[in-house]
Amino acid sequence: MKSYDVVINHKGFVSLDVIDDILHHLKTYLQSRQLDKKIKKRVYSLAVECVDNIYKHAELNKKNHKLIESYPPRFIVERIGDDYLIHTGNIILNKNVEIIVEKIKLLNNLNQKDIGVLYKESLSNAEISEKGGAGLGLIVMAKTTGQKIKFDFERINDKFSYFAMQLNIKK
Amino acid sequence: MKRIDISAADKSPQVIFDPENYLYEMKGNSRPENVRDFYYPIIDTLRKYFEKIVAENEILFFNRECFKFNFKLEYFNSASAKFISDILIIIKNSTEAKLNIKVYWYFDEGDDDMKEVGEDFSDMISVPFNFIMVKR
Repeated sequence: MKSYDVVINHKGFVSLDVIDDILHHLKTYLQSRQLDKKIKKRVYSLAVECVDNIYKHAELNKKNHKLIESYPPRFIVERIGDDYLIHTGNIILNKNVEIIVEKIKLLNNLNQKDIGVLYKESLSNAEISEKGGAGLGLIVMAKTTGQKIKFDFERINDKFSYFAMQLNIKK
Repeated sequence: MKRIDISAADKSPQVIFDPENYLYEMKGNSRPENVRDFYYPIIDTLRKYFEKIVAENEILFFNRECFKFNFKLEYFNSASAKFISDILIIIKNSTEAKLNIKVYWYFDEGDDDMKEVGEDFSDMISVPFNFIMVKR
């Protein structure tokens, strides 16, 4: 049986301080392990993209305390043998569901070479939003993992859905 | 001439723009909390500096030395990548205007992804980079 670690298991509101804590903890863990530099770097950089994404929805969470109790933001990093899994979860607006689904489906249907081309095009065309997002996060995730992005949506009510995503980082 | 001298912090890189010594350098990690506030002034300064040289026809005088761009980044997030690409567009436009510029892209031994990002960037602006592997 493969060895198994839960490296990070965060459920609850994500603030800048929480992000700093999570990333500090992850960095310390990665430094303590005998791992390829490449894998360490990939796990860390994907973690940053994921927590940044969750943080961008923080405003939504602040205004919906009750909802958060049942659907808390989630960020989990697991090690299974030599592979790492990152699970994220957060509330999003229903109107954004389709945009995200289309984006992930497109990425999951592209090969690595085409993802590279898309990344370069997107860099030149990206506009930075007020929240500091460049819309490049998902592309970076597909590019860095080289794996399909697993995802799921659960409809909560007329306004919100819960978006769950899983990234697989293989040695 | 406007210089830039920003010290490195936990989430933002050291940035030096020293026109007198023909040097621009970025070093460290980049995931600033407010990425726009961090990068806009840097990009604005660089753009104005290089555009002025071209506009005022000072190219020959500028080209008496080679302007060096050193990228010594360990990690940057995707929003920072967007701004780094904006800096590279300034380099592209300047080299197309025949300014003498060289780009040095540093990466740690074993960090193939960082080298690959540099190759992507180089490809994107059609300017060859000099890749330098750092042993730690």
